[in-house]
Amino acid sequence: MSAPIGRVVVVGNGIAGLTAAHQLRECGFDGELTVVGDEPYPAYSRPALSKALLLDGVDRSAHELAPATHGAVELLGVRARGLDAERRLVTLDDGVVLPYDGLVIATGARARRLSGLPEEHTLRGLDDALALRERLAGRPSVVVAGGGPLGMEIASACLAAGCAVTLVSQGVPLAGHLGPYLAEVFVKAALDRGLTIAETGAGRIERGAGGVRVVLEDGAVVEAELLVSAAGDVPNTEWLAGAGLAAGGVVRVDGRGLARPGVAAVGDLAAFPTPYGLRRVPLWNSAIEQAKVAAAALVRGDEAPPLRFQPYFWTEQFGLSLKAAGYLPVRGEPEYVEGEPGGPGLMRWSREGGSGTAVALNHRVPIPRLRRVSRAAA
Amino acid sequence: MKIVLDRPRCEGHGLCEEAAPELMHLDDEGELVLDREELGDADLAAAGAAVRVCPVAALRLA
Repeated sequence: MSAPIGRVVVVGNGIAGLTAAHQLRECGFDGELTVVGDEPYPAYSRPALSKALLLDGVDRSAHELAPATHGAVELLGVRARGLDAERRLVTLDDGVVLPYDGLVIATGARARRLSGLPEEHTLRGLDDALALRERLAGRPSVVVAGGGPLGMEIASACLAAGCAVTLVSQGVPLAGHLGPYLAEVFVKAALDRGLTIAETGAGRIERGAGGVRVVLEDGAVVEAELLVSAAGDVPNTEWLAGAGLAAGGVVRVDGRGLARPGVAAVGDLAAFPTPYGLRRVPLWNSAIEQAKVAAAALVRGDEAPPLRFQPYFWTEQFGLSLKAAGYLPVRGEPEYVEGEPGGPGLMRWSREGGSGTAVALNHRVPIPRLRRVSRAAA
Repeated sequence: MKIVLDRPRCEGHGLCEEAAPELMHLDDEGELVLDREELGDADLAAAGAAVRVCPVAALRLA
């Protein structure tokens, strides 16, 4: 049993930090709670930024969440600069020093940039999404660099806005994230809607006349008025450098989300035990589940249950809606539980000795049922 | 307190049902059904968790 804690500081006001703050209260923590967020906004739904929020005509509140009820002192628009884990002090950019008994590290990740050019747009935060939405209203030609789910969602939104769009991808888009079977389904839908796809091993971004250009491995050049890159994320761990808590760009935690006693790390920057080893799982429900477990561990110590977690992933693009319970990518052909290839369906993949994965494509299947189907496949 | 559903926002993920299975469920068509809108004190923790897990904020407490 750990000693009672009087002051908790949550650094990060994304869904991980927000959930941790709420869960601390649910667990009976009634001490002084401070939440630090580098954006000036209340916590919002990041998945919505590259989906509904980018679409013209859709209401501009798609990302808004219910107001926080944790009653914390919220310090927004300010960044944490350093951590002294021995003296238990967080230092902020504005010089404020916050002492703590318990700490939640939830500073998330930022977009990985491919160049130093200001013309390179990324989509990670609310300001990015609003700026991109504004640019799309002028229907510029667009090149999207990155063939993962985010790059494909951005490309889909740009096409829907009436832009000519080229997606530059290392290998087949989505193949690395979803596996070859599902990637083929999405690539077909994207091509049918008019997306141009350029596969390349490597690429180089340059300033061009009236915009930007991406030079592909074979020397071919893609020119566009607007470049948006979606090349993965980089955990925001620099402020932890002095505390010895970040190794290899991530914060490693145990099954209860603790990096050390009294210090939890949750969300996109935390590498936690999974069936496939210590991994980051930067997804919405991952952040929430991690935060709940870690908040309980800060309050109750070893009495709190460890994380039992199955990833849930969804994407909407090119007229397709996919929901997946279980680990991705999936290899080989699925078994169709409902529907058939080429149409709406509920699929499952089995894995030797591991958990199964269930995928609903253009098929409204709620998570509890997806989970049951994925377990049946295990 | 009661739970209010903004149905056009609901995408049928079902994370709320996982958080509060005694208060709500998704039917065979994936439409959310609130089984109990009026909440007692004992329901508030689960209801709050259901509201907060929704990625499209389709639920709120009023």
